[in-house]
Amino acid sequence: MKKLVRATLIFGMLILMAGLVFTGCQKEEAAQGKVVVDVMAYGDNSNQEGVNWVRIVDAFEAANPGIDIQYELLYDEAYHQKVVARLTSGDVPDVAYMGADARWGAPWMEASQQWDHTPHLDAMYDKSLIPPHGPNGEIYEIPLGTSNITTVLFMNEKLVKELGLSAPKTYEDLKAMVPAAKKAGVDVITIDGADGWAWGSCVLSSFIARTSGDPQWVSKAVAGENKFTDKAFVDALTIIDMLVKDGIIPAKSVLVDYGSNVSNFSNGKALFMIQGQWAAGGIENPEVADNTILLAWPKLPFEKAATAGTVAAAPSVGYGVTKKGASDPAVRDAGLALINYFYSEAESTQRLRDGAIVAPILKNYQVPSDLPLIVKRKVELAQSAGTTEVIDSYLTGAPNDALNEGMQKIVSGQATPAEIAAKVEELARK
Amino acid sequence: MKLRERRALGVYLAFILPGVLLYLLVVAYPVVYSVALSLSDYNPNRGGDWNFVGLLQFKTMLSDPNFYHALRNNMIVVAVSVFGQIPIGFILAYILYRRMVKGGDFFQIMVFLPHFLSTIVIGTMWKRMFQADGPVSRLIQIFSGDPSAQFDLMLHADTVMYPIGFALIWMYTGLYMIIFLANLQKINDSLIEAAKIDGATEPQIFLKVIVPILSGTILVSAVLAIAGSLKGFDLIFALTTQGLQRNNAMVLPIFMYQTAFQNYSNPMRYAYGSAISNAIVIISVALIMASNFISRKLGVGEETY
Repeated sequence: MKKLVRATLIFGMLILMAGLVFTGCQKEEAAQGKVVVDVMAYGDNSNQEGVNWVRIVDAFEAANPGIDIQYELLYDEAYHQKVVARLTSGDVPDVAYMGADARWGAPWMEASQQWDHTPHLDAMYDKSLIPPHGPNGEIYEIPLGTSNITTVLFMNEKLVKELGLSAPKTYEDLKAMVPAAKKAGVDVITIDGADGWAWGSCVLSSFIARTSGDPQWVSKAVAGENKFTDKAFVDALTIIDMLVKDGIIPAKSVLVDYGSNVSNFSNGKALFMIQGQWAAGGIENPEVADNTILLAWPKLPFEKAATAGTVAAAPSVGYGVTKKGASDPAVRDAGLALINYFYSEAESTQRLRDGAIVAPILKNYQVPSDLPLIVKRKVELAQSAGTTEVIDSYLTGAPNDALNEGMQKIVSGQATPAEIAAKVEELARK
Repeated sequence: MKLRERRALGVYLAFILPGVLLYLLVVAYPVVYSVALSLSDYNPNRGGDWNFVGLLQFKTMLSDPNFYHALRNNMIVVAVSVFGQIPIGFILAYILYRRMVKGGDFFQIMVFLPHFLSTIVIGTMWKRMFQADGPVSRLIQIFSGDPSAQFDLMLHADTVMYPIGFALIWMYTGLYMIIFLANLQKINDSLIEAAKIDGATEPQIFLKVIVPILSGTILVSAVLAIAGSLKGFDLIFALTTQGLQRNNAMVLPIFMYQTAFQNYSNPMRYAYGSAISNAIVIISVALIMASNFISRKLGVGEETY
C-alpha cells in the first residue's frame, strides 16, 4: 500500500505542477512585488481599438514598473461570450470593458460586479457629462465619450450633389431620390441589415421616438406603461416597410453585414449610410470621408413635433473596475491608474480623431481645432440634435431578439408590422 | 488478501487512478453538474440557492416552438452528414482507390483541404459567398439576366438549410473520404481481381464487394457523423449573421447557447440551457443506438479483408 500512497502522491504532484504552469506567470509577478491587474479588454489585433489598447498597455507598464497588466483582448460576440463564461465560472476580471445598460451591463449587474467609481472621478472627469448608471447616481464604468448616437444618417454630399440632389428634409425628399439613384446605379440608403441589432439600434430607436413624440417611449414600454402593440410602435415599424417598398432601402439590405455596409458607402455605392456615430472612423476613402455630412433622419411619416429632428443615443460604454477588483485596494488603485492613463487627454484626443467617440468626458477638455472634417460634423450633430432612447438599452432577451428578427422579416416581406408588434408584446409580458 | 494480490491491486490502482481522477474531474463532474443544474432554477452568474424544480426546464423546452425548429434543423444536418457526406466521401475514395481519374493525389488534397482550415474561416468564407451581390448572387444575376437578383435562401426558414448543407458537405466530405480510402487500401486486391474474373462490372464490384467489406467503417462513420452533427455549432454560427439568418438556421447547440448565454429576460436561463444540452445528449445516444440496431439487423460490421 505504501507504493499506492507513493503513486498517489506523485500524481498529486503532477497535477500541482500542471496547475503551476498555468498560474506560474501570475505568481512570479506577484512574487516580484508587482501588482497584477487582470483585464478584459475590447478590440482585436486588426482594429484600431485593439492596436491602441496594446500600445497603451505597453506604455503604461513602462511608466509603472510596479504594475503588471494581464489582459485578454476580444471583440464583438467573442467578447460578450467570454464575459458571460468568466462571470458564470467565478473568474471575474479586475478591470473590464463594460456598459451599464440592458445590452452591455446586464451580466455585470446580475453577477453583482458593478462598483461605484463616483468618489474617484473628481480630479479628471466632468461628471456632468456622465449619466448616472445606478439608482443612487452610481457610475459603474467610465464612458469612452459623451452619449453614443446610434441613428446617424451619413450623407455622401458630393455624390448627392452630382445627381442634382440636396440634403433631404422630409421622407418624401428621400423617396424622390430613388429614380436618380437607380439611374446612377447606386442605392439611396445602405444599412447592414443582415445584423439584426442594426435595425433596432440604428433605425427603429429613432423612429419610435418620432412616431410617439416621447423620447422615453421605450423604457416606458418595458415598464408596462406603453404597449408594443400601440399605434406609435406599429407606425414606427410601418416606416421600415415603407422604406423598402418605396425603394429607399433595398430589400437586399437584409443580406449586407456591417463591414460590407461601411465599405459600400465608402466606395460611393450609396448616397446615405445608416449606422452609429462610431462608423465615421470606418469610412476609409478620404474623399468620401471629407464629403460626408452626418444628419438625423429627416421628417418622417407619422412624426410628432415634440421629437422632430432627434437622434437616439445610448450611454457610452467604457472601462471600469469590478467589485472583485475593488476589493483589493492595491489592485483597485492600479486599475484606476490604468483607466486614467487610457482616458488621458492625449489618448482621448486620438480616440476623437479616429472617429470612435463623439466627445471626451474629461474636465476642461479643449476640442482641437484641427480635427478631421467628419469628426467636426459629428460634434455638430451631437450639439444640435435632441436625443432619445436606444431600444436595446432597455429591451433585452427574447422580445428584443424577436423585434430585430421581425424587422428583418418585414424587410424581406415575410411579416407585417402588426404581426411583429404583437409578437414582441407577447414576449415582453411573459 | 495475500501480499502478492495486494501488491497487484496497488499496481492496478496506481495505473488507473490518474485516469479515473482526470475523467471524474474533466468529464464526469461537468456532466453531473449539468444534469443537476437542469433539474434546478439555479443561476450561476447570480449565485444564491439551488432549488429543485423537477422536470420544469424539460417541460418548458418541450412546449417551446424554438426547440422543435432547432431539432428539425439538427435532423437535417444529421441527414446531410449521414446520407450526404458519407456516400460522397465513400464514392470519392473509391474513385481514387481504383485510379479512375488522373492526378489522384491532387484531388485527394483538394477534397481534404477544408479540413485543415479553421471552421470560423470556412464559415466566414461561405457567409461572403452568400451575401448580397456576393459571388453566388453574381452567378444568379449572370444566368438569370436580372441584375437585382439575390441569393436569398438564407432568409427563409424553409430554405436556409440548403446552403448550410452544401457548406457542411464541402467541409466534412474530405474527412470521410480519407477514412474510406485508408480502409480501402487495406483490402486484398485479389478479392477485386476475383470479382473481375467472375465478370463483375465496376458498379457491381463497388456494391457487392466493397460496400459489404467496409460496412463496419460505414457504421463507425455514421456514428461519428451523428455525434458530430448534434454537437455542431461553430460552422453554422460563423456562417450566419445575428438575427433572422441565425434564427432560421438554429440548431440545438445554438438554441442552447442563445438561451443560456444571451436571454437575460429568463432568470433560469442556465438551468434551461442545461436541459437543452442534456436533451442533445439523449437524442444523440438514441440516434447512435438506432444506427447500431439497424446495423445489427443488416448484419453490418463483419469486415473481411
